[in-house]
Amino acid sequence: MPQAEGRRRERWRPPRGRHGLPPEVVARSQRERLLEATIRAVAAKGYGATTVADLTREAGISRTTFYAMFDDKEACFLAAYDNAVDVLVRQIAAAYEAEESWPERVRAGLAALLEAFAAEPELGRLALVDVGAAGPAAQRRHRAALQRLTPLFDEGRDFVPGGRGLPANTSRMAIGAVAGLISDELAAGRAEQLPDLLSDVLFATLVPYIGPEAAAREVGETSR
Amino acid sequence: MATESRRDLILAAMIRVVGSKGYKATSVADVIEEAGASRTTFYKHFADKHDCFLAAYDMLVEQVFSEVVANCDGNQPWLERMQRGLSRIVELFALDPELARTAVVEVAAAGADARQRHWDAVARFTEFLEGGRELADGRELPENISLMSAGAVSGLIFDELLAGRAAELPALFPDLLFAMLVPYIGPRAAADEMRRAAAAR
Repeated sequence: MPQAEGRRRERWRPPRGRHGLPPEVVARSQRERLLEATIRAVAAKGYGATTVADLTREAGISRTTFYAMFDDKEACFLAAYDNAVDVLVRQIAAAYEAEESWPERVRAGLAALLEAFAAEPELGRLALVDVGAAGPAAQRRHRAALQRLTPLFDEGRDFVPGGRGLPANTSRMAIGAVAGLISDELAAGRAEQLPDLLSDVLFATLVPYIGPEAAAREVGETSR
Repeated sequence: MATESRRDLILAAMIRVVGSKGYKATSVADVIEEAGASRTTFYKHFADKHDCFLAAYDMLVEQVFSEVVANCDGNQPWLERMQRGLSRIVELFALDPELARTAVVEVAAAGADARQRHWDAVARFTEFLEGGRELADGRELPENISLMSAGAVSGLIFDELLAGRAAELPALFPDLLFAMLVPYIGPRAAADEMRRAAAAR
């Protein structure tokens, strides 16, 4: 446990020894620390090479504490993943809802997503790359997480005349295109440059609804 | 038996076993049992499971690629070529769900170099899509439009395979076609192609 002391720790930790904090406060803080440590460790080593020992060391908790919270590495990874996705989806939804017209809303939501990934490249790697390595349960979680964004995209159906006649899968196509573009940048180690990708991901999202000409026009107008 | 074909048998077995059990759960023992080969033969050709998987993946990509190319004719218009190429991929995946799962889903679990091979394979297919720019009549299309098109198609295919619905992929073909074409020709024309493909089934 003491070896974690030398590392940078911005998050508040309960004082050691007798501190009289209620046990649930200590447990919550340990859990949050562990989930954040999981994201960092998996991003640094890859899911396969990461061990429970890496996670407990990075989080500064004991093995006993780890196993009191999770059965194994996979369960801990899935919890870290769900946690990260929840935060991300909330950020995207908040940015989306702050705007009026659908293309503006999509632009704001995508910008929030790209900025979150650029600010925390580990998050992007976790959400789009490492999750594929963590087995079928994680992959299903990953697809389900992407589907949580479909309502945002599907408002495009009401935005365009005849939009109701588009294939039922249109939002999944847009999401696939966006995920492909972002994964490609992450795979090339260009997480910091992700915000530059906004025009392209916006085009990719709008194009199945409004076509290439109108999408290019919207990209030009909204990129200001 | 010639060693060359024994190696190929092991590679084919690797693709099948990974497609049915998943990459992580697959052992060298599973692969040699499926191939009817000895452990000695396996280690004569490959350093370990990972090494064998990468070779198997390369073989798989070459197979799918040559099937797709054989189904297209350079003299056909772009739209027809793309339609025929995509339809061949869908057929191959539906006929061989294990190959499909290995190609699209399990490769993600096989490490960074395997994922790189997957990206390289997708990039090879996207080169075919580049011809779609001609349909833009001088309109400015994003530089990576082919990646958008491929991403949309592979996302839909990924979901079907993950859910174990490889056999139903042909029913999804009209939607896949729409996804592939729409960045180039827009929703109206892509929906026409989609309806035509659905009617032809």
